[in-house]
Amino acid sequence: MFKLWRIAVRDLGRNKRRSALTLIAVMMGLALIIALHAFEMGAIQGSIDDNIRIQTGHLQVRAESYEEDKVSLKWEDLLEEPQGLAAQAQSLAEVRSAAPVLWASGILGTVEESVGVRVYGIDPLSEIEAPFREGLVAGEFLAPDDRGGVLISQRLANNLGLAVGENVSLLVNTSGEQPDEATFTIRGLYDSGFPAFDEATIFLPLAKAQAFTRAGERASAVVALLHDREEADAVISALSAPGLELLTWRDLNQLMVEGMNSAMGFLYMIYLIVLAIVAVVVANTLLMSVFERTREMGILAALGMKGRQIMTMFLMESATLGAIGVILGVLLGSLGVYYLATVGVNFGDMMADVASTEIAYGETMYARFQWADTAVLSLVCWIIMLLASLYPAWFATRKEPIDALRAL
Amino acid sequence: MSVIEMQDVTRVYQIGQVETRALRGVNLTIEEGEFTAIVGPSGSGKTTMLQLMGCLDRPTGGRVHINGQDVTRLNPNKRADLRKGTIGFVFQFFALIPGLTAYENVELPLLLSGAKKAGRRERVNELLEAVGLSDRARHRPDQMSGGEQQRVAIARALATHPVLVLADEPTANLDTENGRQIMEIMVRLNQETGTTFIFATHDPRVIPFARRVVEVRDGKVTENSRHA
Repeated sequence: MFKLWRIAVRDLGRNKRRSALTLIAVMMGLALIIALHAFEMGAIQGSIDDNIRIQTGHLQVRAESYEEDKVSLKWEDLLEEPQGLAAQAQSLAEVRSAAPVLWASGILGTVEESVGVRVYGIDPLSEIEAPFREGLVAGEFLAPDDRGGVLISQRLANNLGLAVGENVSLLVNTSGEQPDEATFTIRGLYDSGFPAFDEATIFLPLAKAQAFTRAGERASAVVALLHDREEADAVISALSAPGLELLTWRDLNQLMVEGMNSAMGFLYMIYLIVLAIVAVVVANTLLMSVFERTREMGILAALGMKGRQIMTMFLMESATLGAIGVILGVLLGSLGVYYLATVGVNFGDMMADVASTEIAYGETMYARFQWADTAVLSLVCWIIMLLASLYPAWFATRKEPIDALRAL
Repeated sequence: MSVIEMQDVTRVYQIGQVETRALRGVNLTIEEGEFTAIVGPSGSGKTTMLQLMGCLDRPTGGRVHINGQDVTRLNPNKRADLRKGTIGFVFQFFALIPGLTAYENVELPLLLSGAKKAGRRERVNELLEAVGLSDRARHRPDQMSGGEQQRVAIARALATHPVLVLADEPTANLDTENGRQIMEIMVRLNQETGTTFIFATHDPRVIPFARRVVEVRDGKVTENSRHA
């Protein structure tokens, strides 16, 4: 078997240019797939991570009747004792941080213009709000007892020509039938890195938001961050109670996960097309090799080599070529992934256009190494190469020794 | 005991609509230890006869016996097995495997027949010495002359102690001196080992080496003579 393999390997070296071109085809094809996959998965995982960090948290506890689309502020749709619930969640070992949040819809107005916004009533001291605290680019962050301050994004400030210290009017829906309006002073400007989110989101301290919307002590949800997001289901069972709806990051990012899944379906089609092209190149190379070595096969057959041994020899040749190509492809692909993981691809405002308030897309997307997927893709590539070489190998065994020797 | 027995053997090739009758009823018996030349002009059927004797092909009609066994209707695997242990081949174009060294080429039939490593080493060295190429063992075919390659081919043909060695125009691509050397080696090995040698040729210079000459014309044996 080893000698067969040696013959196969030496055959590869005989037509170096052709072997090299085939190797390049395998290497480029696999590298492209690995880099594309790592980038797509990085973008998906990054977006989900960002969405968790900026918007959804790992877990949300809401009133069962709460309807997210309506941003309802009716008392029956809100959590009655959000602080107690947050404290209960916080006491669980799996929970890193938990805090109540009140969501309202409103219209932010200046003298000249007004825009629709989502109003977040937050606990300014909570770790949940760290991305905005860290993303502060001007002024100060909100204080829990601030009764007249608002935090808006730099992007919104630029759009409306506003600066820190200036006043804006804010009209919000309330738990009653009539909306309410008040004037707030801009305390600070933040930049979360997610244009679509920034353009439509402003923050008030929770107490002020509750008072402004007449929600009493109530909140729309308790948002929790976990040490390990895979523990979300365990936390759900610990917090579960009648009248409450508990949602994990999977439920909260369903739209994104589903969207990404269909994107992956499309990508898998591309992978298949690339691999099919590689397979055709490999099959062609081996077929050429079979034609060129008709004489050699005649000699081997004359020496008593059986058809299946000749087939094994060709499959070994393909397996060796494939293995080298796969190793080079993984190396090249990893280099590509390294570049895409460190430098990333900056889409600028383009992503803001496709992003929505429900899905956070940053301006720059990064790849992430996918070792398990890379191993699977490499194995699939190698197996496809072997399958592609089955026909040439079978073709080689079809020749009668007498026909092969006629090439002498 | 006869090594080869051909009884009324015919071989017809059908290429498209054209039918070529390469052999037209050949009857021939070759005894063990013979050194036989099959002579005749190109297209007379010499190579076809060798291919049938070597189980590389099957006759259209008649019967071929090798070492007493009827091989006429053996399947490809059985024929491969028979070739592996019983028959050695020397071809016109120094048919060595290009990627392998002289040593490895000679070793190949032993590997295919499942010989142990130590036994293989001993046999290959013995044969390379017999053909005067011990110092070329590590050379690949493209590093050897035509004569040297043909000597390696002879060593390879004898590797598994075959009953029969078939050589198709073994000197056709060699100069006079190398051709003579090849014939001398074959004669010597025939005498030393008792292996039956049959070679096809149309080179009048090598015919005198044969102790028996079978002449073939138009697919028939026309003369069958023995020399002292």
